[in-house]
Amino acid sequence: MFMGLFILIAIFGIARWYQQWAAWDYGLDSTDPLFDKYWMTVFWGELIVEVILFFVFVTYFWLTRDKKLNELTPRKEMNRMIHWVSMLAVYAFGFYFAGSFYAEQDATWHQTVVRDTSFTPSHIFLFYMAMPVFIIIGFSLFTYAITRLPVFAKRISLPLVLTVCGPFMLLPTVGYNEWGHAFWLMEEYFTVPLHWGFVFFGWSILALAGLLHQIVKRMIVIMPKVVDEKGELTS
Amino acid sequence: MSLTAPEKKLLNAITTKGSSAAKIVRQLDLIVVLILFFAIIAAFHIHIMLTVGDWDFWVDWKDRKNWVTLTPMLLIFIPAALSYPFMQKFGLPIAGTLCALCLVIGEWVSRILGFHLWTYFPYSMIWPSIAIPGLMLMDLVLLLSRNAIATSIFGGSAVALAFAPANWPILAPYHLPVVHIDQVVNVADLIGYTFTRTATPEYLRIIERGTLRTFGGESTIISTFFSAFVCMVLFFIWWKIGEWVTNLGTVPNRFKKMVGYTDEDDDNAKEAV
Repeated sequence: MFMGLFILIAIFGIARWYQQWAAWDYGLDSTDPLFDKYWMTVFWGELIVEVILFFVFVTYFWLTRDKKLNELTPRKEMNRMIHWVSMLAVYAFGFYFAGSFYAEQDATWHQTVVRDTSFTPSHIFLFYMAMPVFIIIGFSLFTYAITRLPVFAKRISLPLVLTVCGPFMLLPTVGYNEWGHAFWLMEEYFTVPLHWGFVFFGWSILALAGLLHQIVKRMIVIMPKVVDEKGELTS
Repeated sequence: MSLTAPEKKLLNAITTKGSSAAKIVRQLDLIVVLILFFAIIAAFHIHIMLTVGDWDFWVDWKDRKNWVTLTPMLLIFIPAALSYPFMQKFGLPIAGTLCALCLVIGEWVSRILGFHLWTYFPYSMIWPSIAIPGLMLMDLVLLLSRNAIATSIFGGSAVALAFAPANWPILAPYHLPVVHIDQVVNVADLIGYTFTRTATPEYLRIIERGTLRTFGGESTIISTFFSAFVCMVLFFIWWKIGEWVTNLGTVPNRFKKMVGYTDEDDDNAKEAV
């Protein structure tokens, strides 16, 4: 978990530093060749890496799935559960960067600098890096859950589906948002209805509480079996 | 609700200092706290910034009837929805306080690193609204009453009733009148004129109409009470949404045979989740 959190801090920290360094000098005019050099190169680079990482992680978790889950011991199940819940923490951290950190600074950038492209210095990291990163983590942890954790493999948890797929829907909303910004000549009013799709799909993270409840219920079932191995279960 | 014998045994093991059960539970607690902290910041912050954000970003927008009216209404959605699982499933009447705390942390990080260090606006212009008192009161009512309807009426309204008073001490100095190009404006306006936001509506067109500005006068009180009535209803609606989302349950997995299960394994899992 701490490794995952550290990697995300490194990625998003470097991205924020790059914005500070290159946004004002090379990010104001999309017709400038320097914009291509310093911003569109980053855009295409991150897009290629993200698509590759998505398929690598999801395919890896599927191909290395446990084909004898019915024989899993309680201790192994509990270890996997704790490992998976820590992946959920990394997912939440990734969602923080997309939903809070980069999202709100998008307001100050676009209310200050008039946009002339969809691929602005703010969007290149918000829509095309922060969002894909948590989507990659989300689909990876979903695949992990249905291939390694009995409780989620036997039946699909709807709160888990909502927790992963709801925030994923922010990405199609980006398409609608960019189309809207191109189609209508708009003032940068951050609370415009055009943006409410992000709000609606952001609500789906409420299902996380239901998911945590399911996790706790399962832990209550498997923990006594694990604890009993060490003779700690006395009256 | 009384505990069963196996549950009592497990509780004993967990509360025994140094036991493996206690270590597992502590480890899980730490991870869950991290998950909730980051997820709530993200969900609550994106909800607030895209529904009432403009009034929250800038000090010269904070004196509008919509700020007094709409912000508490939108503040109650997610805390009310999370109050259901926190209280009913985990016995913790802390959803409001936790949400408010997460929101203010998320906002300050963004205001410092984005608004101040990237686009160079002064802190006096970009401080976030104070939402903690009202949402704490909401939790307090839930703690004392343990009842959703009582919390809707007294806790929901408290979110709105506490909002303007909580923000007034910090906002009042910005409402001192000044003369600017032969016009009476206030200090907040002058800050707004000085630090131009090129693409915002106020720079492109005049959006002020009638008594949109309150100056802490009677329209603040009227707006606050109107907001309080709406908040009562909204708390209950979002409590119900929280209940629905939390209890969504499960559906059959058609791929379970690929991980070693048969159709007979289905019923056991249904009981477990």
